[in-house]
Amino acid sequence: MINRNLAKVLSYRYMILAFIFILLAGGLVLLPKYEIHEGISPNSLLSNMISQERYINTDELAHKIISQDPSFILIDIRDEKSFNNYSLPYAINIPLEKLFDEESLAYLDQNQFDVVFFSNDNFFADQAWLLCNRLDMNNQRVLKGGINSWFNTIINPNKPTENMPASAFELFAFRKSASMFFGVGYPEDLQTNQPKKNLGTKKVITVKKKKKMPAEGGC
Amino acid sequence: MLILNKVNMKELEKTRRISIAAVLFILVIIIALLSYKRPKHVYALNTQHTLEKITTDNYFVTLDEIQNPNYVLIDIRDQFDYEKGHLEGAVNIYTPELLSEINSDVLNELKENNKTIVLYGNNPTEANSPFLLLYQLGYTNIKILLINSIYSQNKLITKNTTIEKSVADINAFIKESKKNASKSLKPKQEVKKPLKKITPIKKKKKMPVEGGC
Repeated sequence: MINRNLAKVLSYRYMILAFIFILLAGGLVLLPKYEIHEGISPNSLLSNMISQERYINTDELAHKIISQDPSFILIDIRDEKSFNNYSLPYAINIPLEKLFDEESLAYLDQNQFDVVFFSNDNFFADQAWLLCNRLDMNNQRVLKGGINSWFNTIINPNKPTENMPASAFELFAFRKSASMFFGVGYPEDLQTNQPKKNLGTKKVITVKKKKKMPAEGGC
Repeated sequence: MLILNKVNMKELEKTRRISIAAVLFILVIIIALLSYKRPKHVYALNTQHTLEKITTDNYFVTLDEIQNPNYVLIDIRDQFDYEKGHLEGAVNIYTPELLSEINSDVLNELKENNKTIVLYGNNPTEANSPFLLLYQLGYTNIKILLINSIYSQNKLITKNTTIEKSVADINAFIKESKKNASKSLKPKQEVKKPLKKITPIKKKKKMPVEGGC
């Protein structure tokens, strides 16, 4: 009797074995995810952070904003108070503490736009960049020098001295016109406009040269 | 008997197949286990947790505090700069070599001895990313020294600095500049008139030249 019962059960043994394996495989899915190890490996993070490629300078950024480049979004990671006082045009405010909020991730974790972080300097912006880079978001940049550098180069550019190369003057001209674009008024503008009219009087002098020509011919 | 024999044969065939499958299965698992190498550097904190920590904790040290015997200074500049001049008692670990074997041994030892690692470079920003990387790897006993160091006249000169300090109120600056621009509109037009008077004088000078001919 026992033998027969056993034989009955044993005839299902392969089914039972398969069932146990399927159960075990299902158990793997339920294992906790190791969230601690999220992101790229420490070694690749190290090589990414040594690279200076993430930095964008203020001149490049000013040029992008002026030409209304649609390929990037600016993210101000300072607190709300400083953001309300002054921020770059079209910037979005995400204070550093809220970097990984769901609303913020909608801006950060996408492939459509480049993201440019900035803060007063690039210290906090670098931190935001590094955390995002670990999560393998590759389209992020940092404004080199931040708002402070923005002020010193674009909003209030230093006039080059006379012993500087021509490129310094060109750069100054660009920065000055950029600062006008961003709302800075210059009292000298009006001055520089009027000397242009003076240039017009110089044309009168060229007319006089014609007068000299016949005089020479007379000789 | 014959029928029984047939059943037995089938059974034998089945068990043989299963045992082969089982042996293969176990072999695969053993190979997988043998080939798995535990990565040397593993994160101890996830990004969310790190973010919380760095926005709430104070991880800055000023120059006056480094006398603390619990602090170990680490110079993250390259060897060349380090040998030219460095703070007293500082250990040189250049940023790109942070994860090398020798350096991790040094860092682990410091961690075990409950020392606080104080990073410094040419400026705090330079020490920032090494700080964050090590922090995420579990070296939570780490701080940044708030200094600017400049090498001049055969000496390393270090100064306390602050980070992320706003240089100027840009909003106020722009408003001010607009005010100035509108104020200085009128008086400048008067200045230009004498300039025009100068040009007629030039005309007179040229006249005598013609006469000479």
